[in-house]
Parts: sequence; C-alpha cells; structure tokens
Amino acid sequence: MSRRNAAIFAAVLLAIAAGAMALAGANPLAGFAALLRGALGGERQLSETLVQTTALLFPSLAVAFAFRAGLFNIGAEGQLIVGGLFAGLAGAALVAPGWIAIPVILLAGAAGGAFWGGIAGALRARFGGNEVIATLMLNIVAALLANYLVVGPFHAPAATGPETAELPVSSWLPVLIPGTRLTISLLLALALAGALSFMFARTVFGYALQAAGEAPQAAARAGIDLRRTALVALTLSGAIAGFGGATLVAGVLHRFNVALSPGYGFIAIAVALVGGLDPLWIVLAAFAFGILQSGSLTMQALAHVPKDVVGFVEGLAILGLSARRIANPREESA
Amino acid sequence: MAELLDFFQLALVKATPLIFAALAGVICERSGILNIALEGGLTVGAFTGAAVSFETGNPLLGLIAGMLAGALLCGLLGVAATRFGVDQIVAGIGLNMLAAGATAFAVVVLFGAPGATPEVHALGSAGETALIAVAVVAALALQLGFDRTPWGLRLRACGENPQAVLSAGLDPRRIRVLATLAGGAIAGLGGVFLSLGELDLYSDGMTAGRGFIALAAVIFGRWTPLGAAGAALAFGALSALQFVLQRSGVPSELMQALPYLAALAALTGIVGKARAPAADGVSL
Repeated sequence: MSRRNAAIFAAVLLAIAAGAMALAGANPLAGFAALLRGALGGERQLSETLVQTTALLFPSLAVAFAFRAGLFNIGAEGQLIVGGLFAGLAGAALVAPGWIAIPVILLAGAAGGAFWGGIAGALRARFGGNEVIATLMLNIVAALLANYLVVGPFHAPAATGPETAELPVSSWLPVLIPGTRLTISLLLALALAGALSFMFARTVFGYALQAAGEAPQAAARAGIDLRRTALVALTLSGAIAGFGGATLVAGVLHRFNVALSPGYGFIAIAVALVGGLDPLWIVLAAFAFGILQSGSLTMQALAHVPKDVVGFVEGLAILGLSARRIANPREESA
Repeated sequence: MAELLDFFQLALVKATPLIFAALAGVICERSGILNIALEGGLTVGAFTGAAVSFETGNPLLGLIAGMLAGALLCGLLGVAATRFGVDQIVAGIGLNMLAAGATAFAVVVLFGAPGATPEVHALGSAGETALIAVAVVAALALQLGFDRTPWGLRLRACGENPQAVLSAGLDPRRIRVLATLAGGAIAGLGGVFLSLGELDLYSDGMTAGRGFIALAAVIFGRWTPLGAAGAALAFGALSALQFVLQRSGVPSELMQALPYLAALAALTGIVGKARAPAADGVSL
C-alpha cells in the first residue's frame, strides 16, 4: 500500500468510527478525546497502554513470522492460551528463586505454544493438511482444554474464578514502573522484534523461511525443504505466541485464567498486517492497537460510545488490509 | 423410548443451525471461496432476525432480513475476493470481527443495554419444526442440484478449474459472488434459527463457534452437501449427548472438542482422503 493509499484508508476508518459514534448518540470528537485520554492521559494510562501493546506484540510477531514463511497461522490465540496454561501450571507448582522460576515459566509458555503450533505444522508437513483450518480448530480446542483443566483438575481451591493457583510473588515478572502493571515483558518483546528483524534481513535461516514463503517452487529447487520449513515455522511461531501468553501469566494476572486473552491472537493478525509484516513497524502498529484496547473502556465510560466499536473498526481494518497478498500457493510434494 | 425420542429431537434442534452453516460452507468452497466468515454470517443473521422481529413484530420479516444480512456479509467476501483479489482467509477473519463488533454495538445502540436484545416474537415450535425440515430438504436438494443440474456443474467447475469455466464463456467471478450470496443467505437462516427458532432473542456470542464447527463438518463431509449435512447432524447429536451425559463424569469440554478433533483427523487423511476443491481459497 502506498503512503497516499494508507492515509486515505486511515481516514476512511476514522470517518466510519466517527459515524458509528454519532450513531450511538455521542459526539465523535468527545469519543476520540476520551479514547486518547484513557490511553495516553497520564502515567497510569500510558503504562496500561504499554501493557496492552506488549500483550499484542508477541502474537503479532508470531503471526508475522509464519506469514513471512508463507504460512497462515491464525492460531496465535490458541497458542497463546496453551502457552499461558503451561506457564500457569509450571508457575503454580514451582517453588524456586525468581531467577530460576521466571525463565522456567517463560520457557514453559514457549514450549506450550510450540507444541500447539507444532501440531498444525506437523499436519501441514506430514499430510499437507491446510494450516488455516488446523490452527482455526486448534484455537477452539485450546480454549476447551484450558477450561476443562482450570475448572476441573487444576482449579485453585481458594479461587472463585476459573483459574489456577497464584504464582509465588518471587516468580512475578519485575515491574518497570512501580505501581503499574508494566513489566520487563515490554523489553523482552522489543528485543524479540529486533532479533526477528535481524533474522529476516541477515541470516540464512531467515532468508530460507522467506524464500519458502515468496517463491516456494524456486525455494524447493534451490534445496529448501518446504515440509521442514512449514513444521519449523509454525512451531516457532507458536513458541512466540506461547511466550507472550506466559508473560501475561507471570507479569499481569500472576495466574492462568481462562479469560487470559480478549482475542489478542486475532487482533494480532490486524497488527501484523498494519505493520506490513516488518517486525519494527509491527512495534508501532501494536502501540496503535494498544491505544484502542486500553482507551476503549474510558471512551465507553466518558463518551458513552459502546466499546464494541473498536472491534468493529478492527474488523474493517483487517478487511481493508486483506488486499495484500500473503501466501503463495505451495505444493509440498513437488 | 420417550427419552430416546427426546434425544433425537434435541439432536435435530442442535444440528439444524450447523446444517445450514455447513451447506453454506459447501456452496462457497465448491465455488472456490474458502468462507471463514460463516460464523459472522450466523451472527448477523441471528441479530438481524431478532432486531427486525422486534421492530416489526413479525418474525417472518425477521427471517427474511436475517437471510439478507447473511447474504450481504458473505457477499462482501465474494466481491472482495473476485474484484479486489483479497486474501480470503484474512478477509474472512476481518468479517467475523466486524460482525461481532457491529452486532454488539447495535445491541447497545438499539436496545439501550449491552449483551442481548429483549424477548421478541419468535417463530414458535411450528416454525422451528418447519426450519428443521427445510434444513434436511435443502441438503437433499443441494446434492441433487450439484450432481444433476447445469448450474451445479458450473459451480463445481468454478472451484476446480476457473480457467476452464472462463474458456466455456462463463464468468467464474460472477458465479463465485452468487455462491457467496446464496451461501450467506443460508448461513443467515442458520442464525435466524438460533435467535427466532430455538430461542426468542439475540445475545452476544450466541453462535458460539458454530460457524467453525460447520467448517469442520464441510471437511468431514468431504465437501458434498449430504456429507456435510450428515457430519453436522452427527455433531448436533454430540452436542445433544452432552446434556444426557452431564452427570456421567465425561468432561463436557471433551464432547465439545470432538467436532474440531474430527476435523483435524480428517486433515490427516487417515480416515479416507479428504481433498478440497483445487481452487478453494484461490482468489481470481
């Protein structure tokens, strides 16, 4: 999308959002003002926006990782949930000093996400099964699995909600700004974005992934194993999303709850597309969507605009961005 | 005996929206449009049906409006995929989010409180039974139409080899748009069954992933109308079985997960090779 078209597109989205606010009987200017005030109006608001940014950044990078390899991972949501589940179970069971416990919890999350993404990857690599359908189905299975485990066998006896026991305080991620929920997970997410950007630009592995995505036939002729790429890409993509789930568990909720994600894995698709699948631009896009996420409740409270207008506009954004070609048809057996 | 009859009745009620959505999925996919937005089609159908019935007091008008809403949403996917060459999967996800956001928004704006519409005039038990019958007849009719009519052949050709359709002097884009419109209307009818047949109101999230179960049914039914409807019926029976097994200790989540697990198994091809139409999901 050219810069001009992008500006027109953004203007159209804003106009539609304004129209929706007017339809709800609110003054659109007041609506936007409340949204921005709720997201950026002070230290507390800004830190909460950065919490949302971080939560979106991990699955967005996961989605972009798979997209760049020509694979549709629309299962970031499920991978995030399974990652969070693994992290929550490990974290509640583990009694160890923080410098041991925290890495273990985060790695458990990455392992959970890798496992979930790897199922789709294996189906794709071994049987040529469509990863779109596989990840879509696995999202729902993940939610059901989490619900079963957390309401059933791993339900915290003292907890009222569907959640696991609380992590020991020593296992919580260190906060960046005292008195807020913003933790070092933001720095981890930014570091990951940088690392992925380097990987795609400068490493053979990154090059091979993109070659498999952009020109599968040529890549196959050049000796890149497309089946293996599919398995590796979806597994690593899942690991990133799962790691993000673990940071929510260890940094924000301090336990696994079935309501861990309000759809971060789906919004991530919009974030990844807005960021043009470039890890560094995705950081900016995640911040923009973080503003929407954290400001929407203030908008509802102050300007009486139903917060659902955000989901509606995000859906429109995804629809508009779907014009970008992502995956080329590929034939593993060839 | 009476219990068995109750069970079958419940299974049919649970299966009906799935059958409608699965048939919608078959029509779209056989034409070459992988329609992830079935869930959105159900959602807008259910909401529009209830809202129009509330405003007019006439559930039949609600039914028609619900079908139109479904056709509009899925037709948007058809137009986007054929005229703008968009990625069907991404567009479908966007439409699902749009449908969920727009309906939740409209519930607040139109009815003043979030979450659900007030009770509306529903189709009643006669209407519910009629819609169940329509679902079954539609599956049979579609199968016949697919196998025996020229438009069925064209639709299938469009999903397998759109170039050939073009060579035969027909416009595959037009056929695909028509398929998404027809499929969307049927998905909308499935939504109407939820809000005006099984219940008498719309509430946010009431479709509860049925559009995705329908996608599973399409795969499991190997992209044929009768196969998909049969799979939808089996999934409906599973869902009815949950109520029976509630106190037996079988986790209800496992029962709910079975359709999705079945679809994953179908993807492996172990249970018989399932092959999607060659041009399924390939934008023109």
